[in-house]
Amino acid sequence: MAVLSAIFRLAGGALLANKLRSGLTFTGIVFGVTSVMTIMSFLEGAIGAIEKAFESMGPSTFMVSKMMSAFSEEEFLEKIRRKPIDLRTADVIEQDCQLCDKISPRLFDQARISYGDQSLRRIMVMGAAANFIDIVDMEVAQGRFHSSEDDLYRRNVVFIGDLIRETFFEGVDPLGKQIRIGPKKYTVIGVAKKRGTLFGESQDDYAVIPLSAHTRQFGVPHRRGTFLTIKAVSVEQLEEAMDEVRLILRTYRKVPPSEPDDFDMETAESILERLNQFTLMFRMVSVGISGISLVIGGIVVMNIMMVSVTERTREIGIRKSVGAKQRHILLQFLFESIMLTLSGGALGVGLGFVIAKILASQADVDIDPSALAISAGLIVSTGIGLIFGIYPAMKAARLDPIKALGYE
Amino acid sequence: MPLIETDNLWKTYAMGSERIHALRSVSMAIEKGEYVAIMGPSGSGKSTLMNLIGCLDTPTKGEYWLNDKRVREMNDNELANIRNREIGFVFQVFNLLPRASALHNVELPLIYNGTPKGEREKMARMALERVELGDRMSHKPSELSGGQRQRVAVARALVNSPSLILADEPTGNLDSKTSEEIMKLFDHLHREGNTIITVTHEATVARHAKRVLSILDGRIASDEAIPEEQRNGVH
Repeated sequence: MAVLSAIFRLAGGALLANKLRSGLTFTGIVFGVTSVMTIMSFLEGAIGAIEKAFESMGPSTFMVSKMMSAFSEEEFLEKIRRKPIDLRTADVIEQDCQLCDKISPRLFDQARISYGDQSLRRIMVMGAAANFIDIVDMEVAQGRFHSSEDDLYRRNVVFIGDLIRETFFEGVDPLGKQIRIGPKKYTVIGVAKKRGTLFGESQDDYAVIPLSAHTRQFGVPHRRGTFLTIKAVSVEQLEEAMDEVRLILRTYRKVPPSEPDDFDMETAESILERLNQFTLMFRMVSVGISGISLVIGGIVVMNIMMVSVTERTREIGIRKSVGAKQRHILLQFLFESIMLTLSGGALGVGLGFVIAKILASQADVDIDPSALAISAGLIVSTGIGLIFGIYPAMKAARLDPIKALGYE
Repeated sequence: MPLIETDNLWKTYAMGSERIHALRSVSMAIEKGEYVAIMGPSGSGKSTLMNLIGCLDTPTKGEYWLNDKRVREMNDNELANIRNREIGFVFQVFNLLPRASALHNVELPLIYNGTPKGEREKMARMALERVELGDRMSHKPSELSGGQRQRVAVARALVNSPSLILADEPTGNLDSKTSEEIMKLFDHLHREGNTIITVTHEATVARHAKRVLSILDGRIASDEAIPEEQRNGVH
């Protein structure tokens, strides 16, 4: 142990004695690790933000529609031709599905919303059954969501997202006020809790009205069809419930046994999984490209260590003549390269995180330091010191003491 | 049992297709406490012999025992161990670490045998005091005179209490006055009971020893004791 700590101190001393050289190597590693960490932290933050957006969908809930997602043009073109899911489907599933707890059909349209002389264009207007609020984790900030009575009597009531409240009713109580959706008047009965932005897009620019009011205003669901949000009786029976619904839907939609489903079923988890798969290549490539700078940093380390070994040949000879073993010399040079890359790596991890945080804040994503990214950064930079330092260190360790002593 | 014993020692180098015999069948013995000079012109093989005796190299053929240890078949690590424990080197060009203080230079051998820091420093101080450099411990080699540098090197050779002090042209880079100073230091160390071998081509240096081995063309040409009245430095 006394030997190790002494050699460790020797390595540190050698680095300090060669400030310019150590500084250059250190900088190379800092750049490399910073670029990788920036990309990694940013990507991780972005994925995390998307995951968070899906959290409102509970773990026992799944969604059915003719198209939930499309990650390629072919997929999109195939799915867009499918027969829309009609409103009656919800009743059919309600009747036949044993493992379904709640079924909530929804319809979507875009419309202009106005209040007085202010207006917002292209706002998503969702027609939903009253039980939607029970299935999805949508929090009410003020007032209430519509009831099944509102739906039954086709009342013109609206539950608004926070962006609409902010635009029309800043400093004013919105409840009871009348807004227009398209030409029709609706009474505001509730405001949703603010969800904030994701990648610069507001997530609060929507309005929810009773399903019956929606069909009256926007007509029978067209191409897009109905979205069904279904809650299984328990998390454990989610898959069984999905199988049940699949069977009911195939029968109802008369899909021949040889054909694949003509509808999509997704849980929050499966959507995220597909998103992860879809972005995997992109993420790997971007980390890979930034990784090149790490390799360059490693080559800088190796280059500098080679120069250092050559310059210090006599020193190595002296050490060997007084009894330094190969492993002592090897360790001294390895400690030097690892100290450089690890300290450069630590600074790079910090800098990378700060840069990623600044970048992400431009896209309204907040990122937290991730233990995975930090430990990966430190392990990788240590590894670089080891991998690119081992060859020069071995070269030093294997020097013939006689030749090394005679070296000028 | 002598401290050093060689039997039919050969060292052969391959230079292209030619084979160069730097040492040819060297057999000799040196007892503990002896003061021996190895003399010979350049190219005689005396440096090769010194490298073998100093365990910096292994012979091509023949046997070498140092302090009862058979050196011939030792690996790198074992040779390093022997150099660390049994041998103290003093070189012509001092071979001190230029950036390290005198104290750190003297500590060096102790680092590699795991002596704890505190003890290391204590031993190095004592060794520096023995060569009368107690007031120069924190000086770097560049801040010391040639003679002082060589005394630091002697202190480094002594610090581990080796069984053998091996000096290669220890005065080759010093003026005659300083040379005399260093040689007196060796005489003193000899009187204290240390075994000393100096490799030199200077007769004045060799005459400090009690016995001279002359090497010529890789062989021992003569092995003579120096009569007391011809010796330098005893008067």
